[in-house]
Amino acid sequence: MTASTAEQTSSSGSKGSEPPVPEGAITVTVKIRRFNTEFDDEPRWDSFEIPALPSDRVLNLLHYVKWYLDGTLTFRRSCAHGICGSDAMRINGVNRLACKVLLKDLLSAGGKPTTITIEPIKGLPVHKDLLVDMEPFFEAFRAVQPYLINYSPEPTRERLQSAADRERFDDTTKCILCACCTTSCPVYWTDGSYFGPAAIVNAHRFIFDSRDEGAEERLDILSDKEGVWRCRTTFNCTDACPRGIQVTKAIQEVKRALLFKRV
Amino acid sequence: MAELERHSFDVLVIGAGGAGLRAAIEAREHGMRTAVLCKSLFGKAHTVMAEGGIAAAMGNVNSNDSWQVHFRDTMRGGKFLNNWRMAELHAKEAPDRVWELETYGALFDRTADGRVSQRNFGGHEYPRLAHVGDRTGLELIRTLQQKIVSLQQEDHAETGDHEAKLRVFQEFTVSDLLVEDGRIAGAFGYWRESGRFALFTSPAVILATGGIGKSFKVTSNSWEYTGDGHALALRAGASLINMEFIQFHPTGMVWPPSVKGILVTESVRGDGGVLRNSEGKRFMFDYIPEVFKEKYADSEAEGDRWYTDADNNRRPPELLPRDEVARAINSEVKAGRGTEHGGVFLDVSTRLPAEEITRRLPSMHHQFKELADVDITAQPMEVGPTCHYVMGGVEVDPDTGASSVPGLFAAGEVSGGMHGSNRLGGNSLSDLLVFGRRAGTGASDYVSALPVRPVPSEAAVAEAQATALAPFSGEGGENPYTLHMELQQAMNDLVGIIRKAEEIEQALERLEGLKARARTLTVEGHRQFNPGWHLALDLRNMLVVSECVAKAALLRTESRGGHTRDDYPGMDPEWRRKLLVCRTTGPSEVDVEVKAQIPIREDLLELFDRGELEKYLTGDELGS
Repeated sequence: MTASTAEQTSSSGSKGSEPPVPEGAITVTVKIRRFNTEFDDEPRWDSFEIPALPSDRVLNLLHYVKWYLDGTLTFRRSCAHGICGSDAMRINGVNRLACKVLLKDLLSAGGKPTTITIEPIKGLPVHKDLLVDMEPFFEAFRAVQPYLINYSPEPTRERLQSAADRERFDDTTKCILCACCTTSCPVYWTDGSYFGPAAIVNAHRFIFDSRDEGAEERLDILSDKEGVWRCRTTFNCTDACPRGIQVTKAIQEVKRALLFKRV
Repeated sequence: MAELERHSFDVLVIGAGGAGLRAAIEAREHGMRTAVLCKSLFGKAHTVMAEGGIAAAMGNVNSNDSWQVHFRDTMRGGKFLNNWRMAELHAKEAPDRVWELETYGALFDRTADGRVSQRNFGGHEYPRLAHVGDRTGLELIRTLQQKIVSLQQEDHAETGDHEAKLRVFQEFTVSDLLVEDGRIAGAFGYWRESGRFALFTSPAVILATGGIGKSFKVTSNSWEYTGDGHALALRAGASLINMEFIQFHPTGMVWPPSVKGILVTESVRGDGGVLRNSEGKRFMFDYIPEVFKEKYADSEAEGDRWYTDADNNRRPPELLPRDEVARAINSEVKAGRGTEHGGVFLDVSTRLPAEEITRRLPSMHHQFKELADVDITAQPMEVGPTCHYVMGGVEVDPDTGASSVPGLFAAGEVSGGMHGSNRLGGNSLSDLLVFGRRAGTGASDYVSALPVRPVPSEAAVAEAQATALAPFSGEGGENPYTLHMELQQAMNDLVGIIRKAEEIEQALERLEGLKARARTLTVEGHRQFNPGWHLALDLRNMLVVSECVAKAALLRTESRGGHTRDDYPGMDPEWRRKLLVCRTTGPSEVDVEVKAQIPIREDLLELFDRGELEKYLTGDELGS
């Protein structure tokens, strides 16, 4: 099966009664990569015609499908504000959070019909539709010891940190673990054993934290064959980051720390 | 049917937000084999959305601050309805919880001498909120997640098993608690992805499930907030208190529809943003209550001068407390002076130059541009009250978090009492840490002292399974999404920010109808990741919790904090002495009764001036 239409009745889930059409809506085609590992032999594309406003986000379009057209459509979302990092997906071929992409930025020029393709992020096993198994991603995150290591006795109040020291690693603390960067990396696609950019960002966050004393252990881990040297500096990760983190720069800083043995 | 998946733990924590993770860490520290069960991915909980900070009287910015001042502010904010013991513990312990979080590795903005910086916030007398930019909640969750990863690696080094002492079950929903002879025996639920059931045997359960906002049409809450913990507690036999108190944040987006409910932070008003109705009038000047008249400007000119000269002018009424602003907006809309989409205009574009707006409010500018294509430097925002937080929740012992059901504990937004009738900004993140830790200790002590562990009966397990499968055999043909939307509309319109008896009664009638229809709604297809089925089960929770809100709101014939009765506009000291306690009788009947408050301890009362106490307490409480 290659395509279904908006009128299709789905095989499961719940269907809406009368889908609302907002005033000023335009109709766009949304092509979604579907795959149910329990029942399907291979993935397929389903197309849906959706009335939407230019100010709608891709997440709203997905909700429209789920609420009114096909209740079985499966994807993750939580906060819908671009903070929790649950709804990373490939939208027209690039990794984005569905809650942060506006329809108006995807419309075809000159009023021509618009088709939007939505696929799961690449490099992680698909469980169902847009929902992937995040475990390999989190396994890499855990492998870099993403927590404060400090061997001195615990203070009764806070440890002091100057504004400049705090600023040093501010950028990499913005990570929301959405996997946009890691699953946009061509090295990660071809070799899943590479830690990937997100894990290195989270290692960077502690390596450059003035309170941390575990830099050496982490750098050892990252200089391993699955580590930073796999990075080919393609900048896909930096482009994909919904938080604007300078991911490639962070990886370069870790490489430099390894080369010169100091942070 | 396949063999049922079974697990056994010493302590189960339901929910992986700030309270749940802090509780889990504490239970493990006490040697309990602990499991965390959460609906979302680990690390994605609603706590991530908290922006302002963690309120704690560390005195880093103003050394006059102390737990006593924080306690006073909290009691005032809650209009003295707070459980005073919780407010006391919270004020005393919040600083230690922040310092502890810092030693776990949390990032904070710093003072010039390198200590944790603290910012001002509504209702707090001194700069008190420890923060990191506007992403404090995210950092709190991430730090606790990192701490758990480090503890699991310690456990692996010691036992060869990362999950020997603390295990996280993510994307798992608990549908029922199992109770044997009146004690907690475990929990039953399903994997969201496969739809397969699992049984957890455990003598203690800590509820940390957050709030109930998804019962309202306009809310800032995320999808998880379906009142699961509130409903699980009720069905297990525990009681809820203060359910009539719901905080509406005055400025949520009402347009475009894609972002309905999303918060516009208070700092937009703090930096010069003004509220106007459809006639272009700056209406807040008409809504300054008598008690605030001395502190707020009575002309636009004076209000405008305050931004640059706060010492010689009074602040503009746009900066009144949240509940006052929310009520004013609501009144304007009801009087027909709202915007086309049922809000009012919040405008900063005509007040400050564009570059000034992007400099002072970068994240707001960014958020609206990115999420809604609204340029706040060029056009006004359309805003209205949005359901933000529920003060009510499980009635707990302040020191241990224990509910009235042995083995059942609660912490965070799902528990009640701490915030009284209204919560101060910043007191939520500190609440999670203080009472998350206490519930972890409470549950551990309970389990250690238990001579015999209850075992869930097979009959109870079979019943939980049948209940969870019921939506597949419904023959009403109705879609759970339709029912959900009708529920949200009813709660929003009839038990929303301004309430009156007739409307609440109408809401209760509608709820009866919805309950009947919910019993026969139809879900099609398989159990494998079926969002319609999940919603059908969530609806059961939202309906019973909504009934608690409505019934308590009808009984409380006064206005206080997050409960405003149009027909009883005043605050009544007699009502301060009363709590409304909700329980379920029968399968889904809610019963509400009045219970006397425990009088405030003498030494705590002495922290206030008598003149202030006279506003809240009755004559005999004052011993006059």
